[in-house]
Amino acid sequence: MSDATTSQPPGGAATDSDLEILRLATPFREAPEELLRKIAALGRRARYDAGEAIYTAGEEADDIYVTVSGRIEHIFTEEITAQDPLKRMARGGVFGWAGLLLGHTKRLATATARDPSEVIAINTEKLVAILEADRVAGGAVMDRFAAMIQQEFQLPDLLAQVRRLTGQPLTEEMSALGLTMYRLSRWISSPRPYLMLIGFGLFISFWYLSVEVWKLPRFREMPGITTVFKEWISPNPTYGLSFYTPEYYHHILVSIWRVAQAFFLATLLGVPLGLFLGWSRKFKEYAFPIFEMLRPIPILAWVPLAIVMFVATESAVIYLAFLASFFATALNTMLGVESIDESYTRAANCLGASKWQVFRHVIVPGALPFIFTGLQISIGVSWFSLVAAEMVSGQFGLGYVINTSYMMVRYPTIVIGMITLGVVGYVTSALVRVAGDYLMQWRVRELALSGG
Amino acid sequence: MGTQPGVAGGAPLSRGSILIDNVVKIYDPDGAAVMAVDHCTLDIGAGEICMIVGPSGCGKTTLLNAIAGFHEITSGRILLDGEVLCSAEKPKAEPGPDRIVVFQNGALFPWKTNLENVVFGPLMQGKLSRRDAANKGRAMMADAGLSGVEHNYPGEVSSGMRRRVEIVRALMNDPRVLLLDEPYRALDSLTKSVMHEALLEIYYKNKVTIFFITHDLEEAIFLGHKVAIMTTRPCKPKKVLTVDIAHPRDYSVLTSRRFRELIEETSEAVHEEALKAFQAGEKEG
Repeated sequence: MSDATTSQPPGGAATDSDLEILRLATPFREAPEELLRKIAALGRRARYDAGEAIYTAGEEADDIYVTVSGRIEHIFTEEITAQDPLKRMARGGVFGWAGLLLGHTKRLATATARDPSEVIAINTEKLVAILEADRVAGGAVMDRFAAMIQQEFQLPDLLAQVRRLTGQPLTEEMSALGLTMYRLSRWISSPRPYLMLIGFGLFISFWYLSVEVWKLPRFREMPGITTVFKEWISPNPTYGLSFYTPEYYHHILVSIWRVAQAFFLATLLGVPLGLFLGWSRKFKEYAFPIFEMLRPIPILAWVPLAIVMFVATESAVIYLAFLASFFATALNTMLGVESIDESYTRAANCLGASKWQVFRHVIVPGALPFIFTGLQISIGVSWFSLVAAEMVSGQFGLGYVINTSYMMVRYPTIVIGMITLGVVGYVTSALVRVAGDYLMQWRVRELALSGG
Repeated sequence: MGTQPGVAGGAPLSRGSILIDNVVKIYDPDGAAVMAVDHCTLDIGAGEICMIVGPSGCGKTTLLNAIAGFHEITSGRILLDGEVLCSAEKPKAEPGPDRIVVFQNGALFPWKTNLENVVFGPLMQGKLSRRDAANKGRAMMADAGLSGVEHNYPGEVSSGMRRRVEIVRALMNDPRVLLLDEPYRALDSLTKSVMHEALLEIYYKNKVTIFFITHDLEEAIFLGHKVAIMTTRPCKPKKVLTVDIAHPRDYSVLTSRRFRELIEETSEAVHEEALKAFQAGEKEG
C-alpha cells in the first residue's frame, strides 16, 4: 500500500463524499442515511499504485472495499468455479466481501489495482456489528450483498451463502413470540387482511340486502342482521340472550369445557394409537379393520348407545364429542407415520439407533406435521359432534341454545348461537395451529424460506 | 493392491476392506424371480475409493443395500475385514455404524438442526456425552467448511451444504465404510464439481473406505482408485479399472491426458450397457 491512509479522525463524522460513494455501491444503495453515516465512519481511505495488489487469495478476509476511483481487477482462484472468474470494477464497485460468506474467513480472489486507485476499506466484523444493531435496514443490506454476490459475481449457489445477522428474523435467536409478531406485521402489510375485510363486508351486505331490503323468497323468513345484532347487543334482550346476560357466557364456557375434555382425551388416546398403527404392521393388522368399520358410523347413530352407556348426560355428551375427534386424530397420525420416508429410518438404523430411539427421534417428529393436521380436523369435528350431542341431550351449551331457541321460536337467538359457535370454533382451531407451529419450528422456517 | 489407497500421506488403512463374493440377489424367487445381481464378485481394499458405475436401475443399489443391511441376499457372501456380514445362512446383515449410507435424496432429519443431525450417531450409541458430541460435531463441521450453519435446519441451507452435513454425520461415527448412493445426482454441475473436491478433502483427512455408486463416468474416474463398470440387470462387474492417477487429486486432473485416455478406454463399455438398459426398458414399456 502506498500508505496514503487518510483515515477519518477517530469519532469524526464521515465526509459527504464518502456517503456519496457508498450510495453508488449496490449493497448500500437503499440504506437509510443514518445507517450509511455509521458505515462511512468505519471507512478508511487507501490508495494503490497501478499493478499493486490489494489482497491475494488465501489471506484473512478482514476488510470490505468500495472503489472510489481508478480500476480494480478482481480474479477468483481456480477453486471457485465462478462462471466468469475475472471482474473489473470502477467507482462504486464493491469487493473483498468473502468475510461475509458462511463458513469463509479467507479471501477467495485476488484484487489488483489496474490504474492508480483509491478505495474505502471497511472492517468486516465492525460492519456486521453495525448491521446487526439495526435489524431491518441492516438485514436489507445483507440481502443486497447476497444478491450482488450471486448476480454480479456469479458465484455458485453453494458458496454464495451470506452469514446471518444475529437478531435478524428467522434465526435461532428469534423466540416463538418474536416469530409470531414478525408474521403478524407481514400479514398486516400484505393485502390479505383487507381482502378478508372485503369478503366479510360482502357477506354481511348480502345478508342485509337479501333479507331486509330485497326480501327474497326463503330469505325473508330468516332473522335479519339488524334484528340479530340489536338483540345481541341489547342489555335487555327480548329473547333472553345477549352480550349482557351471564347465561350467554355460561353456555359458551360449558361448550368449550366439553370440547376441551373431549379433545384432550382424543389426543391422549388417538395419537398413541395412530403411532402404533403406523409403526407396527402386526398391530395394524389386528386393529385397523375394526377401526375402519367403526370410523364411518355417524355420531348421531351413537347417541342412543351413549345414553345407555353413560348415566350422566354430561359424560354422554363428552363421549360423543370425543369419538369423532378420536378417529380423526388416530387416522391422521397413522398416515403421518406411513408418510415418513424410509431413508430416515434406514439412516437412523445405520447410525446405531435402537428401535425405541428410532420411534422417539424419527417416527414421532416425522409424523408431527400430519398429527397437527389431524388435530385441527379433530377439534373441528369435536365441535361438530358436540353440538349434535347437545341438541339431543344437553342442559347447557351452544347446541342446546340453538335447539331450544328453535323450539321456543326465538329465531334471532339461533343465529347468535350459530355465529358464536363459528367464532369460538375458529379460535380453538387457530390455537391448535399456533401450538403446532411452536412445536415444529423447523417446518415454519422451511416454509418461511420458501416464500410462504 | 497395485495402488496404495488412502495415500495422502500416512500408513495404509488396516480396516474397511470389503469382499463381495459371488453374491446373487433374486427378487421374488418364488414368483417373478427377477435377478438383480448375478454372481457378483468384487474386492475393495481398505481405504480405497471404489466407484460403481452403471445405468440407472441396473442393480447397483441392491448391492449397496446388501452391504448396508437393508436387504437380504439370495446366495454368496459379503465380508467386511474378513468377518461375514451376510451369506446364504444369514441373508441379511445387521445395519450398524461401521457402514454408513449417504442416501440418494439425502436423509438428514429435517426436524433436527444440522448439529443435532451430526451428533445423532454418537448420542444414540451412547458413545459420547452430549457436550463431547457437540464439541466434536462443531469441530468436524468447521473442518468441512460448515461453520455458521450448526443451528440452522437442513431445509435452510443449500443442497450442497446438506450433502456435506450428511457426510460429516456419517464420519462422526468413525465408520469403516461410507456407502454413497449417487449422492450428487440432484446437484447442478457447478455445485457438483465443488462437492467432488470437498469430498476428496474430507477423504484425505478422514481416510475411510468409500463405496460410491454413480452413473457418471467422469465423476467415477476423477474420484476413484478403482472403477467397476457394471452390466445392466442382472448386475455384475463388466470391467474393473484401476485409476493410475496419483492422489491427492484436484480439478486439474480433469484436463490431464491420462484422465482423457481412461475415459476413452471405458466409455464404450459404459455406453454399451446404457444402450442395453435402454432397449430393455423399451421392451418392458
